[in-house]
Amino acid sequence: MSESSLRKATPGRLVAITLTLMILLSPFLWLLQMSFKSNDQILQFPPPLIFTPTLENYISLWHSAFSASFVNSLLSASLSTALALLFGVPAAYALSRWAGRGKHALSFAILVTRMAPPIAFTIPFFLFYRWIGLLDTITGLVLVYTSFNLPLVIWMMQPFFDTIPVSLEEAALVDGARTRTVFTRIVLPMVTPGIAATAILCFLYAWNDFFFALILTRTNARTAPVAVVNFMNYEGWEWGKIAAGGSLVMAPVLIFSLAVRRYLVSGLTAGAVKG
Amino acid sequence: MSESGIDGERRRFIAFALTPSLIVLFAVAVLPAIYLIVTSLTPFQLTTPGSATDFSEPLRNYGLLPGDPRFVNSLAVQAKLSVASVLFQVLLGMGLALLLNVPSRFVEFARTFFLIPMVLPPIVVAVIWKLIYAPDISPLYYAAQALHVTLPALTSSVDFALTSIVIADTWEWLPFTFLMVLAALQTIPDEYSEAALVDGASKLQIFWYVTLPFITPILVISGMFRLIDSVKAFPLIFLLTGGGPGTLTEVTNYYAYLLAFDTNEIGYSSAVTVVMLLLVCGISLGLVWMGQRKKALA
Repeated sequence: MSESSLRKATPGRLVAITLTLMILLSPFLWLLQMSFKSNDQILQFPPPLIFTPTLENYISLWHSAFSASFVNSLLSASLSTALALLFGVPAAYALSRWAGRGKHALSFAILVTRMAPPIAFTIPFFLFYRWIGLLDTITGLVLVYTSFNLPLVIWMMQPFFDTIPVSLEEAALVDGARTRTVFTRIVLPMVTPGIAATAILCFLYAWNDFFFALILTRTNARTAPVAVVNFMNYEGWEWGKIAAGGSLVMAPVLIFSLAVRRYLVSGLTAGAVKG
Repeated sequence: MSESGIDGERRRFIAFALTPSLIVLFAVAVLPAIYLIVTSLTPFQLTTPGSATDFSEPLRNYGLLPGDPRFVNSLAVQAKLSVASVLFQVLLGMGLALLLNVPSRFVEFARTFFLIPMVLPPIVVAVIWKLIYAPDISPLYYAAQALHVTLPALTSSVDFALTSIVIADTWEWLPFTFLMVLAALQTIPDEYSEAALVDGASKLQIFWYVTLPFITPILVISGMFRLIDSVKAFPLIFLLTGGGPGTLTEVTNYYAYLLAFDTNEIGYSSAVTVVMLLLVCGISLGLVWMGQRKKALA
């Protein structure tokens, strides 16, 4: 008997797993189905489980101010991801090759930026931005997200660099190549998968943010998560549009999470956070 | 090129690669912390000019804290919310991990879908539960109506408001403890439970004497992680209850937010935040200490 009799995929267990999954995901599926219903169908009793799906919620969202905030979210998340990678990847490489006290300072920084309640940063950031006029700008958001993604980049990228044998670089160095060249021509191409995974996680963290965007933006730079909440406050209880907005905000997250599910675990446990 | 030439060139590269990141980390982690502490020593209000630099009574804010019923209440609410949701997350996460700890292609595929609540944007999680808790459109209320039971408006009820937050928070973060425990379970060699089985141990005994000792450290660590994170619960409270009814669900984080961005009491809010930071640091240090002890024991 090669496999433990305790750990067997019996039919009973598979049924239990499927049922648990269905129960666990039902609140999420409820939001999804509601986004394809007209307001009449939403208020109908009992709720129709089989109905003709409509895209009217999505279409009216597209023609509202929501599309602008969606673009704001895309812009701030992708720009901050690019910047965090630009700073963080070389730093991670340097730290990986130069183990020392830097690593402790780094874990401390991750601890602080990832574990501290965001309110601790929003008060100083808010006052500083008010002073230099960065409130309600994409630039302001990009700065915040970059700085919070930087520790994540360094944390995620170090193990990737650690796996590349130093002998490879030494050979090139002996041949007279400069460290910069070795880094860009030899090392970087070897960690492309790692960079891709890290980039997606950074994007998600910035995309998921609600608190910073709530406080640091008003109307011009408002991001999609804040816009969804605004429906509730200003446009009355248009459940269909709220559900469609929520579905649009979560769409990139679901797609990307599936793409990087192998790295998701280490990324999610790095300080174990979502702002 | 001489040996020292390569070294020097290498050192310059490393300095060049590290400096920008170190500057950013300093600017984002250290400066705000200093600024927060300085502000907490002033009676700073956005509407009162000069109050940002008024250090005449530096410890005034901290002196006010113990006598502020809303602050004391917020700590109690936070404790209740954190303990309840972390407990449920750890226990249910462990149950789920035990259920899914089987070698099967299908289960491995299904595992990814169990992670969905955790990767959703927190505000979407709040929207999802808003829809579940809204009486006119919620499946919960349809079901209650069909069974002729009258449910109160959960999020504005004195008895259920905090529970409704605990349920939503547990749903969101259950996948985290599940993941951690599953990872630990998969490191247990099958031989141990097989040997116990041969010796006539029951399934319950195997769980109690073989499995549980193995996963206890990870249960504690994931619980601590969640405890630290639970202090930040914001979107759920913001969207579902707004701290109400009254101050029943007003956690410290939310109180600090209201103070700073609703009533403009920046100085006082900073003091509340500093106390909160100290608590989080305390738990974090505990976590680091436990990690080291675990390493020393291994």
